[in-house]
Amino acid sequence: MTATENIKIEKPPKGASIPAKEGIKKAILGVFKKALETEALDAIMIPVKVPETESYAWVLLKDTTLLENADPLPPVMTIQGGKVLSDLTKHGKINKNIAAVLRPCETRAAVELFKLKQLHFENITLISIDCPGAIPLSEYLAEPEKSKKSFDNVLDKWDGDDAVRKVCQICYRFSLPTLTNAPASDLHIGLSGNTKDDVLLIPVTPKGEKILERLDLKADSSLQKWETKIKEIKKIKSQRRKKFNHDFKANISGPEKFTAVFDGCINCHNCQSVCPICYCQQCYFDSATTKLSSEDYFRRAKERGALRFPLDTILFHLGRMSHMALSCVSCGACEDACPMSISVSQVFSLVGEQTQQAFNYTPGINREESLALQDYLEDEFCEVETPSECEPTNSNEVKENV
Amino acid sequence: MDKDFKPNIVGFLCNWCSYAGADLAGSNKLEIKPFLSVVKVMCSSRVNSNLVLTSFLWGADGVLIAGCHPGDCHYEKGNYYARRRFALLKKIMESLNLEPQRLQLSWVSASEGKRYAEVVNKFAEDITKIGPSPFRKNQNL
Ligand code: SF4
Ligand code: SF4
Ligand code: SF4
Ligand code: FES
Repeated sequence: MTATENIKIEKPPKGASIPAKEGIKKAILGVFKKALETEALDAIMIPVKVPETESYAWVLLKDTTLLENADPLPPVMTIQGGKVLSDLTKHGKINKNIAAVLRPCETRAAVELFKLKQLHFENITLISIDCPGAIPLSEYLAEPEKSKKSFDNVLDKWDGDDAVRKVCQICYRFSLPTLTNAPASDLHIGLSGNTKDDVLLIPVTPKGEKILERLDLKADSSLQKWETKIKEIKKIKSQRRKKFNHDFKANISGPEKFTAVFDGCINCHNCQSVCPICYCQQCYFDSATTKLSSEDYFRRAKERGALRFPLDTILFHLGRMSHMALSCVSCGACEDACPMSISVSQVFSLVGEQTQQAFNYTPGINREESLALQDYLEDEFCEVETPSECEPTNSNEVKENV
Repeated sequence: MDKDFKPNIVGFLCNWCSYAGADLAGSNKLEIKPFLSVVKVMCSSRVNSNLVLTSFLWGADGVLIAGCHPGDCHYEKGNYYARRRFALLKKIMESLNLEPQRLQLSWVSASEGKRYAEVVNKFAEDITKIGPSPFRKNQNL
């Protein structure tokens, strides 16, 4: 065990380099195995391939033999990891020392859930990992072998690929900033740029440092190569996102086109129930408040000549946006869960981005930041008032940390 | 522009300021266009997105939210929160091109009868120019 004075993160930040001769996943699992064996951790929450099916479930495991089927970066995102951590700790902190391995969007969802008081971070070491994207769930289930191959390919190339979900192709937050003053995760696993030879374990918080210390790992490798690569990919993906969102907006916006996007919606609310941000015990849109009498519906049908059922699908989608768009982490879980293949996460991601920019808020990258709707400044948003008597004060600049 | 178009506007007025302002405008016999269906709310912060969206989806051509000037809310901070929620809703409508001009936030105090009349008349004029809401006849909601 290293002495306490070595715990302090050196500047510029460095990471522990783990050799990955047998592949990056083996290398990462090796670290976890050691952490469990040495009792640096009591348990790990990690995706594990479910026996007899091709699917993955999250498993809280202590038994290292179970690690054999674990995958820190599975080809699909069956269940949003932020939601899983919330399920585990919603009603109070956990007393065991556990680590959870989450993709960046899952990590950010966890941070938003923490701000929403739906998750406790005490005793949890949150480990985030660079993510090349995930294969659409339906495609993966239809052709698992082919999908695994294309995922390996994506993991090799790192700049997004048609094989991954649309939101992944345009995701420029596939890594997380490792700023100690604005932590999202405790430890970040850097992959891109190091895929061939090594994996970087980058401590962000004292908890992250402690794990490395317990494992006798020294954070003495430069992050420069990794950071350069991240910047490169980020640039490509940001440009792709800009172009995609521009075209997508043209295709789906306006009252007619927007309602047409949801024409096929069967109002099953799957998108809401899998969304990590939609944590409400009872969703407002399932409640009786939104239901009217048959006479009211008949009157509406008469006014417009006909009335489509199920009712209130557009109210549901717009209303859900108005509840959670500022915290949408663009994870794509909603779209994976939609039985009607509606581009729901692309719509939410677009609206999320534009609203978040207006509020100068980036969900999930800083635990210390307060939620945009639980806060206000006396002097702001005067441009939304009519008549408006002041210069706009809210800048549209996006905070960028990576 | 349809000469016969009479817009259907929903106005959420806070009890302490804007509703009183409307009252004053009425007792001063100011001319106010008769297109506003007034819903009295205790505070502008009582107006949630569901009220606004339901109004739009079921045929309102415009929605006006009016409350006390910043700093004067009778619950101190209500209108600051209301302004944030409004900004979010407006931005959602903007990002989807859902005719955000149909949604307006105005501050009108209890003593501003004249301002109330001006705000309502101007908004009614704007909405008349834009025309009927496309949601009025939409069967796929
Ligand atoms: S709306 Fe969809 S993309 Fe956004 S956080 Fe929820 S599940 Fe993820
Ligand atoms: S749509 Fe709104 S009420 Fe429903 S679960 Fe999401 S946040 Fe809660
Ligand atoms: S999952 Fe798809 S079909 Fe179900 S409510 Fe959401 S958008 Fe509609
Ligand atoms: S009481 Fe008028 S805005 Fe709150």
